[in-house]
Amino acid sequence: MKPEVPMAVRELAHRLRTDLLAELTGFRANVAAMGAAMLDMVADEWDGAAARLVRENCAFRALLEQADGPPPGGNDEDLRISALTRENDRLRGLITELMERLEADSSPQAAALLAAIWQELARTVTERRITSANF
Amino acid sequence: MKDITPENLVVWLAARQPQWRDIAVANLHRLPMGASRETFRFDLAYVDPADGAQAMKVILRRDPPASNVDSDRAHEFAAYQAIYGHGVPVPKMLLLEEDPAWFDGAVSLAEDLRGYHNSEYQFQDPAWAPKLPHIAREMWGAMGRLAAVPVEDLDLSFTRPATRENTAVQELDYWVASLEKHDVGPEPIISAAVRQLYRWQPVAQKLALVHGDFRAGNFLYDDDGNLIAVLDWEMAHCGDPLEDLAWSMTRTFCFGKNDLRSGLATREEAIRIWEEASGLTADPQALAWWELFICVKTQAIWNASAHVWQTGQGREVIHAYAAWWLRNAQDKAALELMGKL
Repeated sequence: MKPEVPMAVRELAHRLRTDLLAELTGFRANVAAMGAAMLDMVADEWDGAAARLVRENCAFRALLEQADGPPPGGNDEDLRISALTRENDRLRGLITELMERLEADSSPQAAALLAAIWQELARTVTERRITSANF
Repeated sequence: MKDITPENLVVWLAARQPQWRDIAVANLHRLPMGASRETFRFDLAYVDPADGAQAMKVILRRDPPASNVDSDRAHEFAAYQAIYGHGVPVPKMLLLEEDPAWFDGAVSLAEDLRGYHNSEYQFQDPAWAPKLPHIAREMWGAMGRLAAVPVEDLDLSFTRPATRENTAVQELDYWVASLEKHDVGPEPIISAAVRQLYRWQPVAQKLALVHGDFRAGNFLYDDDGNLIAVLDWEMAHCGDPLEDLAWSMTRTFCFGKNDLRSGLATREEAIRIWEEASGLTADPQALAWWELFICVKTQAIWNASAHVWQTGQGREVIHAYAAWWLRNAQDKAALELMGKL
Protein backbone atom coordinates (compact mmCIF):
# COMPACT_ATOMS: atom_id res chain seq x y z
CA MET A 1 0.00 0.00 0.00
CA LYS A 2 1.24 3.48 -0.85
CA PRO A 3 1.53 5.71 1.06
CA GLU A 4 3.05 3.23 3.46
CA VAL A 5 0.73 2.16 6.26
CA PRO A 6 2.77 3.34 9.30
CA MET A 7 3.19 6.78 7.73
CA ALA A 8 -0.51 7.05 6.93
CA VAL A 9 -1.84 5.85 10.28
CA ARG A 10 0.57 8.08 12.22
CA GLU A 11 -0.74 11.05 10.27
CA LEU A 12 -4.32 9.92 10.95
CA ALA A 13 -3.50 9.70 14.66
CA HIS A 14 -1.94 13.17 14.56
CA ARG A 15 -5.01 14.64 12.80
CA LEU A 16 -7.32 12.96 15.25
CA ARG A 17 -5.44 14.59 18.13
CA THR A 18 -4.89 18.03 16.69
CA ASP A 19 -8.02 18.60 14.59
CA LEU A 20 -10.81 16.48 16.03
CA LEU A 21 -9.98 16.06 19.70
CA ALA A 22 -10.26 19.78 20.37
CA GLU A 23 -13.86 19.68 19.10
CA LEU A 24 -14.86 16.92 21.50
CA THR A 25 -15.37 16.73 25.26
CA GLY A 26 -15.77 14.11 27.96
CA PHE A 27 -16.36 10.49 26.90
CA ARG A 28 -16.15 11.23 23.15
CA ALA A 29 -12.81 13.00 23.56
CA ASN A 30 -11.48 10.06 25.53
CA VAL A 31 -12.55 7.57 22.84
CA ALA A 32 -10.90 9.72 20.16
CA ALA A 33 -7.68 9.95 22.20
CA MET A 34 -7.59 6.19 22.69
CA GLY A 35 -8.29 5.69 18.98
CA ALA A 36 -5.34 7.92 18.13
CA ALA A 37 -3.12 6.01 20.54
CA MET A 38 -4.22 2.71 18.99
CA LEU A 39 -3.38 4.00 15.51
CA ASP A 40 0.11 4.82 16.79
CA MET A 41 0.41 1.26 18.13
CA VAL A 42 -0.62 -0.10 14.71
CA ALA A 43 2.09 2.07 13.16
CA ASP A 44 4.61 0.69 15.67
CA GLU A 45 3.67 -2.89 14.88
CA TRP A 46 2.83 -2.93 11.19
CA ASP A 47 6.19 -3.18 9.52
CA GLY A 48 8.02 -5.42 11.97
CA ALA A 49 5.34 -7.75 13.31
CA ALA A 50 5.84 -10.64 10.86
CA ALA A 51 9.65 -10.52 11.15
CA ARG A 52 9.42 -10.42 14.94
CA LEU A 53 7.03 -13.37 15.09
CA VAL A 54 9.21 -15.45 12.74
CA ARG A 55 12.31 -14.67 14.82
CA GLU A 56 10.48 -15.54 18.07
CA ASN A 57 9.09 -18.77 16.61
CA CYS A 58 12.54 -19.86 15.39
CA ALA A 59 14.07 -19.06 18.78
CA PHE A 60 11.35 -20.98 20.66
CA ARG A 61 11.78 -24.02 18.37
CA ALA A 62 15.55 -23.95 18.93
CA LEU A 63 15.04 -23.91 22.70
CA LEU A 64 12.45 -26.67 22.60
CA GLU A 65 14.79 -28.84 20.49
CA GLN A 66 17.37 -28.67 23.30
CA ALA A 67 14.97 -30.42 25.67
CA ASP A 68 14.19 -34.11 25.92
CA GLY A 69 11.02 -35.05 24.11
CA PRO A 70 9.51 -34.84 20.67
CA PRO A 71 10.64 -32.00 18.39
CA PRO A 72 8.29 -29.03 18.42
CA GLY A 73 7.51 -29.24 14.68
CA GLY A 74 5.64 -26.49 12.93
CA ASN A 75 6.89 -23.91 10.46
CA ASP A 76 6.41 -20.30 9.43
CA GLU A 77 5.62 -20.83 5.76
CA ASP A 78 2.32 -18.96 6.08
CA LEU A 79 3.48 -15.39 6.73
CA ARG A 80 0.10 -13.92 7.58
CA ILE A 81 0.21 -12.36 11.05
CA SER A 82 -2.75 -14.50 12.16
CA ALA A 83 -0.96 -17.74 11.15
CA LEU A 84 2.33 -16.67 12.71
CA THR A 85 0.51 -15.68 15.91
CA ARG A 86 -1.25 -19.08 16.08
CA GLU A 87 2.14 -20.79 15.73
CA ASN A 88 3.62 -18.39 18.33
CA ASP A 89 0.83 -19.30 20.75
CA ARG A 90 1.41 -23.03 20.15
CA LEU A 91 5.13 -22.65 20.81
CA ARG A 92 4.55 -20.47 23.89
CA GLY A 93 2.32 -23.23 25.23
CA LEU A 94 5.13 -25.75 24.75
CA ILE A 95 7.64 -23.34 26.33
CA THR A 96 5.33 -22.91 29.35
CA GLU A 97 5.16 -26.69 29.83
CA LEU A 98 8.93 -27.04 29.38
CA MET A 99 9.63 -24.31 31.97
CA GLU A 100 7.47 -26.11 34.51
CA ARG A 101 9.42 -29.35 33.91
CA LEU A 102 12.78 -27.58 34.10
CA GLU A 103 11.89 -25.85 37.38
CA ALA A 104 11.44 -29.30 38.92
CA ASP A 105 14.78 -30.54 37.55
CA SER A 106 17.85 -29.67 39.64
CA SER A 107 20.44 -30.61 36.99
CA PRO A 108 22.83 -27.94 35.64
CA GLN A 109 21.58 -28.70 32.11
CA ALA A 110 18.02 -27.88 33.14
CA ALA A 111 19.13 -24.67 34.84
CA ALA A 112 21.08 -23.60 31.75
CA LEU A 113 18.15 -24.26 29.42
CA LEU A 114 15.77 -22.46 31.78
CA ALA A 115 18.13 -19.47 31.87
CA ALA A 116 18.22 -19.44 28.06
CA ILE A 117 14.41 -19.45 27.95
CA TRP A 118 14.22 -16.52 30.37
CA GLN A 119 16.74 -14.66 28.23
CA GLU A 120 14.61 -15.24 25.13
CA LEU A 121 11.42 -14.18 26.93
CA ALA A 122 13.13 -10.97 28.06
CA ARG A 123 14.16 -10.35 24.46
CA THR A 124 10.62 -10.86 23.16
CA VAL A 125 9.26 -8.41 25.72
CA THR A 126 11.87 -5.82 24.75
CA GLU A 127 11.12 -6.28 21.04
CA ARG A 128 7.35 -6.11 21.58
CA ARG A 129 7.54 -2.87 23.54
CA ILE A 130 5.35 -0.16 22.02
CA THR A 131 6.49 3.46 22.03
CA SER A 132 3.72 4.64 24.37
CA ALA A 133 4.28 1.92 27.00
CA ASN A 134 4.82 3.14 30.56
CA PHE A 135 7.48 0.44 31.04
CA MET B 1 -28.01 -1.59 26.10
CA LYS B 2 -30.83 0.89 26.70
CA ASP B 3 -29.89 4.52 26.32
CA ILE B 4 -29.55 6.42 29.57
CA THR B 5 -31.73 9.48 28.93
CA PRO B 6 -33.20 12.21 31.14
CA GLU B 7 -36.66 10.86 30.34
CA ASN B 8 -36.04 7.26 31.42
CA LEU B 9 -34.14 8.46 34.50
CA VAL B 10 -37.17 10.52 35.55
CA VAL B 11 -39.49 7.54 35.01
CA TRP B 12 -37.22 5.30 37.08
CA LEU B 13 -36.76 7.82 39.90
CA ALA B 14 -40.51 8.43 40.08
CA ALA B 15 -41.09 4.69 40.51
CA ARG B 16 -38.22 4.27 42.91
CA GLN B 17 -38.92 7.34 45.06
CA PRO B 18 -42.73 7.72 44.82
CA GLN B 19 -42.74 10.46 47.44
CA TRP B 20 -40.66 12.75 45.20
CA ARG B 21 -42.48 15.31 43.09
CA ASP B 22 -41.43 17.45 40.07
CA ILE B 23 -38.37 15.29 39.34
CA ALA B 24 -36.07 16.91 36.78
CA VAL B 25 -32.88 15.58 35.20
CA ALA B 26 -30.60 17.94 33.27
CA ASN B 27 -27.10 18.16 31.81
CA LEU B 28 -26.75 14.40 31.43
CA HIS B 29 -23.53 13.19 29.82
CA ARG B 30 -21.18 10.25 29.91
CA LEU B 31 -17.78 10.63 31.58
CA PRO B 32 -14.48 9.14 30.40
CA MET B 33 -13.95 7.18 33.61
CA GLY B 34 -13.09 3.55 34.14
CA ALA B 35 -12.72 0.55 31.87
CA SER B 36 -15.17 -1.65 33.69
CA ARG B 37 -18.28 0.48 34.15
CA GLU B 38 -20.18 3.22 32.33
CA THR B 39 -20.21 6.50 34.25
CA PHE B 40 -22.64 9.38 33.71
CA ARG B 41 -23.11 12.75 35.37
CA PHE B 42 -26.33 14.78 35.70
CA ASP B 43 -28.13 17.44 37.71
CA LEU B 44 -31.09 16.17 39.72
CA ALA B 45 -33.89 18.27 41.18
CA TYR B 46 -37.06 17.18 42.98
CA VAL B 47 -39.46 18.18 45.72
CA ASP B 48 -39.58 16.00 48.79
CA PRO B 49 -42.73 16.48 50.92
CA ALA B 50 -40.63 16.30 54.08
CA ASP B 51 -37.55 18.28 53.07
CA GLY B 52 -38.84 20.62 50.37
CA ALA B 53 -37.09 21.42 47.08
CA GLN B 54 -33.83 19.56 46.57
CA ALA B 55 -31.10 20.02 43.97
CA MET B 56 -28.01 17.87 43.69
CA LYS B 57 -25.27 16.83 41.33
CA VAL B 58 -25.21 13.11 40.74
CA ILE B 59 -22.94 10.38 39.35
CA LEU B 60 -24.61 7.33 37.81
CA ARG B 61 -22.66 4.13 37.19
CA ARG B 62 -24.04 1.20 35.19
CA ASP B 63 -22.88 -2.40 34.98
CA PRO B 64 -22.27 -3.42 31.38
CA PRO B 65 -23.25 -6.88 30.05
CA ALA B 66 -19.54 -7.82 29.93
CA SER B 67 -16.62 -6.23 31.73
CA ASN B 68 -12.95 -6.74 32.42
CA VAL B 69 -13.74 -6.95 36.14
CA ASP B 70 -16.24 -9.38 37.66
CA SER B 71 -17.95 -7.07 40.09
CA ASP B 72 -21.33 -5.44 40.33
CA ARG B 73 -23.10 -2.31 41.50
CA ALA B 74 -24.14 -3.82 44.82
CA HIS B 75 -20.53 -4.67 45.65
CA GLU B 76 -19.11 -1.22 44.95
CA PHE B 77 -22.10 0.51 46.56
CA ALA B 78 -21.57 -1.52 49.75
CA ALA B 79 -17.82 -0.83 49.70
CA TYR B 80 -18.41 2.94 49.57
CA GLN B 81 -20.96 2.67 52.35
CA ALA B 82 -18.59 0.57 54.46
CA ILE B 83 -15.75 3.10 54.42
CA TYR B 84 -17.87 6.28 54.47
CA GLY B 85 -17.15 8.21 57.66
CA HIS B 86 -14.03 6.25 58.59
CA GLY B 87 -11.34 8.82 57.74
CA VAL B 88 -10.90 8.06 54.04
CA PRO B 89 -12.94 10.56 52.05
CA VAL B 90 -15.40 9.08 49.55
CA PRO B 91 -18.55 10.35 47.83
CA LYS B 92 -21.84 9.56 49.56
CA MET B 93 -23.90 6.78 47.99
CA LEU B 94 -27.50 7.71 47.19
CA LEU B 95 -29.42 4.90 45.46
CA LEU B 96 -28.80 1.37 44.20
CA GLU B 97 -30.96 -0.23 41.51
CA GLU B 98 -30.20 -3.91 41.02
CA ASP B 99 -33.16 -4.69 38.75
CA PRO B 100 -31.59 -4.73 35.26
CA ALA B 101 -34.99 -4.26 33.64
CA TRP B 102 -34.73 -0.49 34.02
CA PHE B 103 -31.44 0.10 32.20
CA ASP B 104 -30.25 -3.36 31.00
CA GLY B 105 -27.83 -3.39 33.90
CA ALA B 106 -27.74 -2.48 37.57
CA VAL B 107 -27.10 1.21 38.30
CA SER B 108 -26.04 3.22 41.31
CA LEU B 109 -26.32 6.91 42.10
CA ALA B 110 -23.74 8.80 44.15
CA GLU B 111 -22.94 12.33 45.19
CA ASP B 112 -20.97 14.06 42.39
CA LEU B 113 -18.03 16.08 43.74
CA ARG B 114 -17.50 18.51 40.87
CA GLY B 115 -14.78 21.01 40.21
CA TYR B 116 -11.90 18.68 40.99
CA HIS B 117 -9.34 16.79 38.93
CA ASN B 118 -8.81 13.06 38.65
CA SER B 119 -6.38 12.75 35.72
CA GLU B 120 -3.20 10.77 36.32
CA TYR B 121 -1.74 12.35 33.17
CA GLN B 122 -2.04 15.88 34.51
CA PHE B 123 0.74 15.03 36.98
CA GLN B 124 3.14 14.85 34.02
CA ASP B 125 2.47 18.48 33.13
CA PRO B 126 5.59 20.44 34.20
CA ALA B 127 3.34 22.99 35.92
CA TRP B 128 2.29 20.27 38.39
CA ALA B 129 5.83 19.05 39.12
CA PRO B 130 6.29 21.16 42.31
CA LYS B 131 3.05 19.70 43.72
CA LEU B 132 3.93 16.04 43.20
CA PRO B 133 5.55 15.48 46.63
CA HIS B 134 2.42 16.86 48.32
CA ILE B 135 0.10 14.78 46.13
CA ALA B 136 2.19 11.70 46.90
CA ARG B 137 1.78 12.37 50.63
CA GLU B 138 -1.96 12.80 50.10
CA MET B 139 -2.35 9.60 48.10
CA TRP B 140 -0.18 7.18 50.09
CA GLY B 141 -1.26 8.91 53.31
CA ALA B 142 -4.93 8.15 52.54
CA MET B 143 -3.96 4.61 51.57
CA GLY B 144 -2.13 4.21 54.86
CA ARG B 145 -5.12 5.52 56.82
CA LEU B 146 -7.34 3.03 54.99
CA ALA B 147 -4.94 0.25 55.98
CA ALA B 148 -5.12 1.34 59.61
CA VAL B 149 -8.93 1.25 59.90
CA PRO B 150 -9.87 -1.76 62.08
CA VAL B 151 -11.92 -4.16 59.96
CA GLU B 152 -14.04 -4.84 63.06
CA ASP B 153 -15.39 -1.29 62.67
CA LEU B 154 -16.57 -1.90 59.09
CA ASP B 155 -19.50 -3.79 57.59
CA LEU B 156 -17.63 -6.04 55.18
CA SER B 157 -20.44 -8.52 54.69
CA PHE B 158 -20.45 -7.63 50.98
CA THR B 159 -17.06 -9.20 50.34
CA ARG B 160 -15.54 -12.66 50.57
CA PRO B 161 -14.36 -13.45 54.11
CA ALA B 162 -10.62 -13.59 54.66
CA THR B 163 -8.13 -14.36 57.39
CA ARG B 164 -4.63 -13.00 57.84
CA GLU B 165 -3.33 -16.45 56.90
CA ASN B 166 -5.47 -17.17 53.81
CA THR B 167 -5.94 -13.81 52.13
CA ALA B 168 -2.87 -14.10 49.88
CA VAL B 169 -3.68 -17.52 48.47
CA GLN B 170 -7.37 -16.63 48.27
CA GLU B 171 -6.65 -13.58 46.14
CA LEU B 172 -4.20 -15.58 44.02
CA ASP B 173 -6.80 -18.32 43.44
CA TYR B 174 -9.37 -15.69 42.46
CA TRP B 175 -7.19 -14.02 39.84
CA VAL B 176 -5.73 -17.24 38.48
CA ALA B 177 -9.33 -18.38 37.91
CA SER B 178 -9.94 -15.11 36.07
CA LEU B 179 -6.87 -15.72 33.89
CA GLU B 180 -8.18 -19.18 33.03
CA LYS B 181 -11.68 -17.89 32.36
CA HIS B 182 -10.37 -15.20 30.00
CA ASP B 183 -7.73 -17.26 28.22
CA VAL B 184 -6.17 -15.35 25.33
CA GLY B 185 -3.29 -17.74 24.70
CA PRO B 186 -0.36 -19.23 26.59
CA GLU B 187 1.63 -16.87 28.81
CA PRO B 188 4.96 -18.34 29.88
CA ILE B 189 5.96 -15.30 31.97
CA ILE B 190 2.76 -14.92 33.98
CA SER B 191 2.46 -18.72 34.33
CA ALA B 192 5.95 -18.79 35.88
CA ALA B 193 4.96 -15.92 38.18
CA VAL B 194 1.87 -17.86 39.29
CA ARG B 195 3.97 -20.96 40.06
CA GLN B 196 6.41 -18.82 42.07
CA LEU B 197 3.56 -17.21 44.03
CA TYR B 198 2.03 -20.58 44.93
CA ARG B 199 5.32 -21.74 46.50
CA TRP B 200 5.02 -19.31 49.43
CA GLN B 201 2.54 -16.70 50.62
CA PRO B 202 2.87 -13.99 53.28
CA VAL B 203 0.65 -13.75 56.34
CA ALA B 204 -0.94 -10.30 56.62
CA GLN B 205 0.08 -8.12 59.56
CA LYS B 206 -3.57 -7.19 59.85
CA LEU B 207 -6.70 -7.41 57.77
CA ALA B 208 -7.99 -4.25 56.13
CA LEU B 209 -10.52 -3.07 53.62
CA VAL B 210 -8.37 -3.24 50.49
CA HIS B 211 -9.48 -0.75 47.85
CA GLY B 212 -8.19 -2.96 45.05
CA ASP B 213 -7.50 -0.20 42.48
CA PHE B 214 -5.84 2.56 44.54
CA ARG B 215 -3.57 4.56 42.21
CA ALA B 216 -3.24 7.92 40.50
CA GLY B 217 -6.35 8.37 38.38
CA ASN B 218 -8.71 6.94 40.97
CA PHE B 219 -8.93 9.86 43.36
CA LEU B 220 -10.18 13.43 43.08
CA TYR B 221 -7.80 16.27 43.94
CA ASP B 222 -8.05 20.03 44.00
CA ASP B 223 -5.85 22.70 42.39
CA ASP B 224 -3.40 22.49 45.28
CA GLY B 225 -3.13 18.72 45.06
CA ASN B 226 -5.22 17.99 48.15
CA LEU B 227 -6.98 14.63 47.96
CA ILE B 228 -10.74 15.16 48.00
CA ALA B 229 -12.17 11.65 47.56
CA VAL B 230 -11.08 8.13 46.67
CA LEU B 231 -13.10 6.61 43.81
CA ASP B 232 -13.61 3.26 42.03
CA TRP B 233 -14.11 0.77 44.85
CA GLU B 234 -15.51 -2.01 42.66
CA MET B 235 -12.61 -4.38 43.49
CA ALA B 236 -12.68 -3.63 47.24
CA HIS B 237 -12.34 -6.63 49.51
CA CYS B 238 -11.12 -7.71 52.91
CA GLY B 239 -7.43 -8.57 52.70
CA ASP B 240 -3.80 -7.63 53.23
CA PRO B 241 -3.28 -3.84 53.05
CA LEU B 242 0.06 -4.43 51.33
CA GLU B 243 -1.97 -5.30 48.23
CA ASP B 244 -3.01 -1.66 47.77
CA LEU B 245 0.56 -0.44 48.26
CA ALA B 246 1.87 -2.97 45.72
CA TRP B 247 -0.88 -2.09 43.22
CA SER B 248 -0.06 1.62 43.38
CA MET B 249 3.59 0.95 42.62
CA THR B 250 3.33 -1.42 39.66
CA ARG B 251 5.33 -0.36 36.61
CA THR B 252 2.34 -0.11 34.28
CA PHE B 253 1.07 2.74 36.46
CA CYS B 254 4.34 4.70 36.13
CA PHE B 255 2.55 7.28 34.02
CA GLY B 256 5.64 9.44 33.60
CA LYS B 257 7.45 6.48 31.98
CA ASN B 258 10.13 6.74 34.66
CA ASP B 259 10.73 5.40 38.16
CA LEU B 260 8.05 7.54 39.84
CA ARG B 261 5.31 5.19 41.00
CA SER B 262 1.82 6.27 39.97
CA GLY B 263 3.77 9.11 38.33
CA LEU B 264 4.26 10.70 41.75
CA ALA B 265 7.07 9.35 43.94
CA THR B 266 9.87 6.84 44.07
CA ARG B 267 9.11 3.37 45.38
CA GLU B 268 11.05 4.11 48.58
CA GLU B 269 9.17 7.35 49.22
CA ALA B 270 5.79 5.73 48.57
CA ILE B 271 6.58 2.98 51.08
CA ARG B 272 7.83 5.51 53.64
CA ILE B 273 4.65 7.61 53.45
CA TRP B 274 2.43 4.52 53.62
CA GLU B 275 4.28 3.10 56.65
CA GLU B 276 4.06 6.42 58.48
CA ALA B 277 0.34 6.82 57.81
CA SER B 278 -0.63 3.21 58.49
CA GLY B 279 1.62 2.50 61.44
CA LEU B 280 2.41 -0.77 59.69
CA THR B 281 5.63 -2.16 58.28
CA ALA B 282 5.99 -3.07 54.62
CA ASP B 283 7.96 -6.27 55.09
CA PRO B 284 10.20 -6.48 51.98
CA GLN B 285 9.55 -10.17 51.31
CA ALA B 286 5.80 -9.83 51.76
CA LEU B 287 5.68 -6.68 49.65
CA ALA B 288 7.71 -8.40 46.90
CA TRP B 289 5.12 -11.21 46.89
CA TRP B 290 2.27 -8.72 46.54
CA GLU B 291 4.07 -6.79 43.80
CA LEU B 292 4.43 -9.94 41.72
CA PHE B 293 0.85 -10.89 42.56
CA ILE B 294 -0.24 -7.52 41.17
CA CYS B 295 1.32 -8.48 37.83
CA VAL B 296 -0.91 -11.56 37.80
CA LYS B 297 -3.99 -9.59 38.86
CA THR B 298 -3.45 -6.78 36.36
CA GLN B 299 -2.65 -9.19 33.54
CA ALA B 300 -5.87 -11.04 34.37
CA ILE B 301 -7.70 -7.72 33.96
CA TRP B 302 -5.94 -6.78 30.70
CA ASN B 303 -6.59 -10.30 29.37
CA ALA B 304 -10.25 -10.02 30.33
CA SER B 305 -10.32 -6.74 28.38
CA ALA B 306 -8.96 -8.54 25.32
CA HIS B 307 -11.29 -11.50 25.87
CA VAL B 308 -14.41 -9.36 26.14
CA TRP B 309 -13.58 -7.75 22.80
CA GLN B 310 -12.31 -10.90 21.07
CA THR B 311 -15.39 -12.93 21.98
CA GLY B 312 -17.81 -10.17 20.98
CA GLN B 313 -19.18 -9.68 24.50
CA GLY B 314 -18.32 -5.98 24.36
CA ARG B 315 -16.84 -3.41 22.02
CA GLU B 316 -15.78 -0.60 24.35
CA VAL B 317 -12.68 1.00 22.81
CA ILE B 318 -10.99 1.13 26.20
CA HIS B 319 -10.92 -2.68 26.44
CA ALA B 320 -8.96 -3.11 23.20
CA TYR B 321 -6.79 -0.10 24.02
CA ALA B 322 -5.92 -1.36 27.51
CA ALA B 323 -5.02 -4.82 26.25
CA TRP B 324 -2.78 -3.48 23.46
CA TRP B 325 -1.14 -0.90 25.70
CA LEU B 326 -0.58 -2.87 28.88
CA ARG B 327 -0.15 -6.63 28.36
CA ASN B 328 3.46 -6.58 27.18
CA ALA B 329 4.43 -3.93 29.76
CA GLN B 330 2.93 -6.10 32.51
CA ASP B 331 4.98 -9.08 31.29
CA LYS B 332 8.07 -6.86 31.47
CA ALA B 333 7.16 -5.77 35.01
CA ALA B 334 6.83 -9.40 36.07
CA LEU B 335 10.23 -10.19 34.52
CA GLU B 336 11.81 -7.33 36.46
CA LEU B 337 10.30 -8.51 39.76
CA MET B 338 11.48 -12.08 39.14
CA GLY B 339 14.99 -10.82 38.37
CA LYS B 340 14.82 -12.01 34.78
CA LEU B 341 14.93 -8.74 32.88
